Order: sequence, then structure tokens, then C-alpha cells
Amino acid sequence: MNELLVTCTGLTKRYGLKPALNGVNLELGRGRIVGLLGPNGSGKTTLIKILCGLLQPTDGAVAIDGQPVGPYTKSIVSYLPDRMYFADWMKATDLFDLFADFYGDFDRAKAMSMCASLGVTPSDRLKTMSKGTKEKVQLVLVMARKAQAYLLDEPIAGVDPAARDFILNTILTNYNEDGTVMISTHLISDIEKVLDEAIFLKDGQVVLHNTVDAIREQEGKSVDALFREVFRARNYEGGIF
Amino acid sequence: MFGKLLKYDFRSMLKQFAFIWPAALALAVINRFTLSSLESASATGETVAAVAMMVFVSIMIAMFVITLIFVIQRFYKGLLGDEGYLMHTLPVRPWALIGSKLVCAVVLTVVSTLVAVAAILIIVSPVIDLGEFFHVIRWLWDAVCGGKNAANAFLACVELLLLILLGMAEGYLMLYLAMAIGHLFNKGRAAMSVAAYIGIHVVVSVLLSFTSNVFGDMLYNFFDNLFWGKHDYPWQAVHMSLWISILVVAVGSAVYFLLTEYILRNKLNLE
Repeated sequence: MNELLVTCTGLTKRYGLKPALNGVNLELGRGRIVGLLGPNGSGKTTLIKILCGLLQPTDGAVAIDGQPVGPYTKSIVSYLPDRMYFADWMKATDLFDLFADFYGDFDRAKAMSMCASLGVTPSDRLKTMSKGTKEKVQLVLVMARKAQAYLLDEPIAGVDPAARDFILNTILTNYNEDGTVMISTHLISDIEKVLDEAIFLKDGQVVLHNTVDAIREQEGKSVDALFREVFRARNYEGGIF
Repeated sequence: MFGKLLKYDFRSMLKQFAFIWPAALALAVINRFTLSSLESASATGETVAAVAMMVFVSIMIAMFVITLIFVIQRFYKGLLGDEGYLMHTLPVRPWALIGSKLVCAVVLTVVSTLVAVAAILIIVSPVIDLGEFFHVIRWLWDAVCGGKNAANAFLACVELLLLILLGMAEGYLMLYLAMAIGHLFNKGRAAMSVAAYIGIHVVVSVLLSFTSNVFGDMLYNFFDNLFWGKHDYPWQAVHMSLWISILVVAVGSAVYFLLTEYILRNKLNLE
């Protein structure tokens, strides 16, 4: 087992000429909860997709547990995408079958009990479920694995504040404690209290990566306050009036 | 892992076709009765028979159209659309993803064809004596391929079957490659897929036109010799032309497969 879980070196991704990631260097250890923070379009989703193998970097390299992205890394990464990714004809139990077949670390019993506590009926067809319920099913699939890396892309963006706590609680009570959870979001105040580390991503570059405690100590302010400062809209700076 | 992928691809296929296949057969049975009562029928009976026949013909066409759409969709939506987020994060290699879709597509086409043949036989059964029909086929087989020709004829049938299956696979792999190429573009992926398909077709037909003269001559020689009574040579020509065709189709399939796999492995661009 490699000491570092995730390593990115000089990671660059361009869509056409526009860079979405621009020379990202990043090292993540194990057993942390990491916030991948940045405004919309800062490259959060692109970074996560590269780690999952859904996008290929234009330049640079990625290693997860010391391995390049491939079947091995996919078997230890649990990914929550920013969209629905299953066929409508399935039931949640069909998806549990599929996950149990492909991921050795999927815990079916845990998935069923998570469904019960989230109020999801797993024998219902996905087609008949509401958007929120489908999101819960997807969260169950992802968190019922004993993965080494959980990459959660905007898990709380589309839901009301009460549901946010509920989802965060589900994540916190179910993740593998030797594994690292990376949560991408721009809703920092909601997750600040659970984070060990924060990564600020701005225009495809890492502008800050530190533990939350160190940020509070060195900057004398919360991550949320620092975020607002770093990402303050440009037109307020150095005005020409 | 490949077997598990197949399991899920077959499952989604059966969900779709569990209704269509029985429906085609059921309509064939209905037509069988409406057609057989046609001789003694009134005007209403004729209308009923005509409507039943129309429904049957449309469901047969629909079956093959749906088969083609299904094959395209399982690849386009299943690997390059939102479902691709699930499939490409499974711990499997891209060749397995493509291979599983391909095996499923070929099996689907074979079964749809068998259903169509069965439906046609059901329909014509009151008009044509099926026992007699198969008897004639048997007689033809014996006349052309019987006796000392049996071994060669059997082999040729196996070769032909192989060629047909490979031909299906090649057709689908060409579609897959076109979709994979279309997916490399950031905008207008569907349109680029169609353009890529046309492009591949043009390239392949140019390549084939260079080589087709060879097959043309061979076919000509075969019939020439068959009718002029040289009985050893024709079978060699049959086997040779079949195996050359198999080779050409296999090479085409392999090229399409490898290019598609290369794109999915190195250029995957889901957004």
C-alpha cells in the first residue's frame, strides 16, 4: 500500500484551447476528509473525472495508490458523479447486484440498511423515483463500498439545507475510515465543520492546500471567510473609478 | 469480468425484446388464420386480413429497425452518454466493454432474424405445405450437395455462417467506431458520428474496389467450371473465395475494434 493515496503532477486538461486544469500538483494522504473548493468552472469536476478515468489529461500524470488510472484504481475508487448514471429500467436492487458483481468492497447488507434509514424502497423502479430519491440511491451505492478513495462531485449542491446535513451525515457515518473522502463543492459553510483539509482551486490551478486547522491558525479566519476573500469577484479590485 | 458485463447487457436486451419477439410471433399466428380464411371470406374478412397483414409487415420492419436502434443506443448512451459514467468507472478494461456490447448485438440480430423466419413460416403454412417445402429443399440439397459433395457442402455452409456472423460484427463495429470518432469532438457529436460513418464507408469502398476484381474473377471461374463439369476445382474455389471474404471481413472487424478500443482507452472524453 502506497503512503500517498492520490498524486497529481503537472496535471493539465484543455478543452480545445481553453485550459480547465493548468499544471495541478497535488498529494493526498489517507484517512482524511478533503474539501475540493472553488467557484463554478474552476476545474473541480474535471479533476475528479480524470481521477476516475472518465477524462484523459492533456498533459501530466495521475497516480492512485501508486498506480496509473486503470482497472485497479477503479476498483478502489468510489465515485459520485454530478448526474444520474443508470438505465431507467433498473431497480435499485439491480444496481446493488451490479455493484456486488464488480466491486469486491460493496456491502449489500449495508446498502439495504442505508436505504431503510434514507427512506428509499430498493425494489422500486428507478423510473418511478423522484430526482431526490435517485440521488439518494446513488449516494447509497457510493457509500456502501469500503473504498480507499471516495470522490464526491457536488453531493450537496442540488438539495435544500436540511437535506444537506442529512447527506453529510450519511457520508460521515458510512465512509471507510482508512479511506480518504474528497468532496467538491462551492457551498463551504455547510461542510467546513467536517473537513480536515481544504484545496482551493482557481482557474484550473491549486492556489491553496492546507489543513483546516492550519488555515484557521495562520489566517485567523474560517475557511469560508478565506474562500470569499480569495475568490472575490475581480471587478471590485483596483477599480478605475 | 467479461461474463458479468455480458450478463448485464443481455439483461437490458431481454427487457426490451421480451415484448417484441413474442408480439411478432403472435401476429404471425393471427395472420395465419385471417389468411387461411380468405378464400371463403366476405368483404369484412378481407379487410381484417389486410389490416392484420399490414400490422404484421410493420412489426417485422419495426423489429429490425428497433434492433438497429437498440444496438446503436446501447453503445452511444451506454458507453458515451450518462450511463458511461457507470460503465467506465467499473474496474474493467475498455475492450471488455466494447466486446460485451458487440456479442450482445450479434446475438440480438441472430435471434431477431430467427424470429422473422419463424413468423414467415407460420404465415405461409396454410398456403404452402411446409412438409413439401422442406422436402424440396432437401431434394435440392441432395442434388447439388449430396453424395461425394456432402463434406464440402457442409464445410461451405459453416464458412458461410461464419462469414455472415462476422459480417454482422463488422457492420456494428463500423458503427461503434463512427460513434467513438464523433465523441472526440466537443460539439455536434451526433452529426460528427454520422459524418465519420460516411467517411469510413468511403474509405472502405475505395479499398474494396481495388480488391474486388480478384473476387469477381474467382466467382466467374467458379460458375464457369461448375457448369463445364470440372468437379474438383469448383469446391476449392468456393472455399477459397469464402475464406478470403472471411479474412477481409475479419481484418476489417479487427481494425474497427482496435481503433474503437484505442479511442475509449486513451481519448475518453465524457462530459
